Amino acid sequence: MRIEVTKDWCVRMAELEADEEIGVGLVAVDPVFDGESLAQSEEPAVAFGRFVSLMRRNRGLSVEKLADEADVDVVELLSIEEVAQYKPEVRTVYQLANFFALPRATLLQVAGLTLPKDSRIIEESVRFAARSEPVEALTKEERSALETFVSVLSEDKDKDHSLG
Amino acid sequence: MSVTASPAFLWNVERGEAEAAELWDAITEQQLADWEAEWIPELFKALQRLRRAGVPRQAWPQSRHWDWRKKTAALTGMLAHPSFSIVCRGLTQGMMIVDNTTKRGRLADQAGKNLVYVEYVENAPWNRKELFDPPRYRGIGSLLMRAAIEASRHEGFKGRIGLHSLPQADAFYAKTCGMTDLGVDPDPNYSPMHYFEMTQEQAEAFVAKGGKS
Repeated sequence: MRIEVTKDWCVRMAELEADEEIGVGLVAVDPVFDGESLAQSEEPAVAFGRFVSLMRRNRGLSVEKLADEADVDVVELLSIEEVAQYKPEVRTVYQLANFFALPRATLLQVAGLTLPKDSRIIEESVRFAARSEPVEALTKEERSALETFVSVLSEDKDKDHSLG
Repeated sequence: MSVTASPAFLWNVERGEAEAAELWDAITEQQLADWEAEWIPELFKALQRLRRAGVPRQAWPQSRHWDWRKKTAALTGMLAHPSFSIVCRGLTQGMMIVDNTTKRGRLADQAGKNLVYVEYVENAPWNRKELFDPPRYRGIGSLLMRAAIEASRHEGFKGRIGLHSLPQADAFYAKTCGMTDLGVDPDPNYSPMHYFEMTQEQAEAFVAKGGKS
């Protein structure tokens, strides 16, 4: 259906309309938090955490620094990197996509928050996860962090024994 | 699906001049892609900004999700109806869905008569002043209302329109469009939305407001 409107009519009406809100119907209501999520993939997002971890390390950032710079929750970022079954917040994936300059829709698929439109993405994700599994020996820093943490855990264990 | 794109203009707020746009008589895959890839992230960021303005970060409901699924499902569920969209600079700036078969007039003068019921109108987030100040474009609402009037005339309904306005949009439909406010709809599904109706005379007045069309 062709609709004839002149430039003058559009300009005059834009002036009258100014910055008025125009929303109509229930669907136009802005979303609110309601505890529901997008249609999600049932598959665990095996590659997402590994991917975020490598992207972060590639930029020389700590988890805390990335959380700060991408404006995401540090606890959630840790969960993403460490727990393969963890389903991140949509907002967090958007923030990470923006930070790493990646397509948001694709990253949502990799994160398992939307159903994959392209099976290649999932195949590549699995391949990436398998290839990026670390095989090299621990670095000096990793070994030091590990030993420190083990010693703290050991202290707690000793404490448990002494209490018991 | 064949789409007719009618030439139109929007007001570019930043540049202070009219910019060529198109009024499409459809919502196509392009609009849905814009909705998903452009509108939702921008809306999300804007709403988050508003939340941040007054709420300490610790208090954000981090563990909960936004109900995008409901909104997306509701929108796509309505696409069997006639729809319109406005495109400017290759991006969807506004969308409208109408029902031209099931609804009837409520105003005494046109009670029971056919009309075009506007199911849905939404402006792109960047054109909404409460989200982006200054907004990018003005005139989306007027163009979509004009399209609804022309659709009504095309059906032989003489410009008669009905709609439920969001509370913050009441002023636009009452003043700028000159529609009659029938108050809060008694149907609890629509509460607290007001129901507005446009008569043939009001439609003619609206079109005349913009001068020679």
